[in-house]
Amino acid sequence: MKRILPFIIILAVLGVALGSAWYMTRSASPPAVPATPTASAQTNNQPAQLPPAVAGVPGADPPYTLGSPNAPARLEEFGDYQCPPCGMFHPILQQMHKEFGDKLQITFREFPLTPTHQHALEAASAAEAAGLQGKFWQLHDVLYEHQKDWSDKFDVRPIFEGYAKDLGLDMERYKRDVESEQVAQRIFLDGKRGHSMGVKGTPTVFLNDREVPFASLPADSLRVLIQQQINNAGNR
Amino acid sequence: MKLYFTAAVVSLLGLADAIYLTVEHVTGQSVRCTIVAGCSEVLSSQYAVMAGVPLALIGAAAYFGVFSLSTLAAFGYRIAGTLLTVLVVLMFLFSLWLIYLQAFVIHAFCQFCLLSAAITTALTVIVLIRVILARKPG
Repeated sequence: MKRILPFIIILAVLGVALGSAWYMTRSASPPAVPATPTASAQTNNQPAQLPPAVAGVPGADPPYTLGSPNAPARLEEFGDYQCPPCGMFHPILQQMHKEFGDKLQITFREFPLTPTHQHALEAASAAEAAGLQGKFWQLHDVLYEHQKDWSDKFDVRPIFEGYAKDLGLDMERYKRDVESEQVAQRIFLDGKRGHSMGVKGTPTVFLNDREVPFASLPADSLRVLIQQQINNAGNR
Repeated sequence: MKLYFTAAVVSLLGLADAIYLTVEHVTGQSVRCTIVAGCSEVLSSQYAVMAGVPLALIGAAAYFGVFSLSTLAAFGYRIAGTLLTVLVVLMFLFSLWLIYLQAFVIHAFCQFCLLSAAITTALTVIVLIRVILARKPG
């Protein structure tokens, strides 16, 4: 008996290890295919089932949107300009906008994760200040595209001002707006909406008010989900 | 023998840690930035995967190996003790490499990765004590 006892113990531990791994995988979000939003080589043709819609308190009004307000698919992203996965998700969303055009409305909500990301709030303020001059999406794109250039810098203010200047913004006004109550209030309201909808991290994406599992954010999975929403609307 | 039992218990902690990291990786949880835990630059980096296999999964297999070998050694299988020493030393060297990557390449640390390095260090100390004791005459 003593000779086989260690093998029994080892097998028991193996069983517990595999069982707990299986249980944890199941109770986490739906089994996902790629681990990163950019890894789109694998495709899960079985679209994830979206959870029920959640109603949140209103965010900043008017929100910044792309696409038609009457689009059958409404996608809302809560993002942080300094968060690397949000940076990876940015080109995916641009791709979706290009592919679906007016059938997809994209809304961006500010959700800066302070203090984890020391420059996130400043970046959100910069984008919102540009928004007051009608250039929200332009600065939004620049911030994500150059995320790596400013994320680890000590002082980002001159960098953001450089971006604003390149976009041809009225710099006097931009500098005033960045620190304005109006901009701070917009960011606060977006955050409040996020919290009311259960947002805990970024990027968190809702499709017609239903949270898209993080694992479904790669282009291939997201495309299927968006198409599904458009088809559903067409059948109604 | 007691040292082998200790190593087996410590390796279980490592196994739990590595399973947690593997599940986080596979479900994509580790890639999102969260309010509480911050961002996992480490787990979403290219170094988190080796030849398509999540590093955490390799870690889980290694800790399971340590557990199996130390259990066998505790029950008197001598060869298991030797293999255990080799495996733990390799894991220790690999952990040093991972800490180097976190400190100087990724410029970010991940708590559960550091916990794993600490556990491997503890295992290294245990097997080294075992080797020294075994060399002592008498």
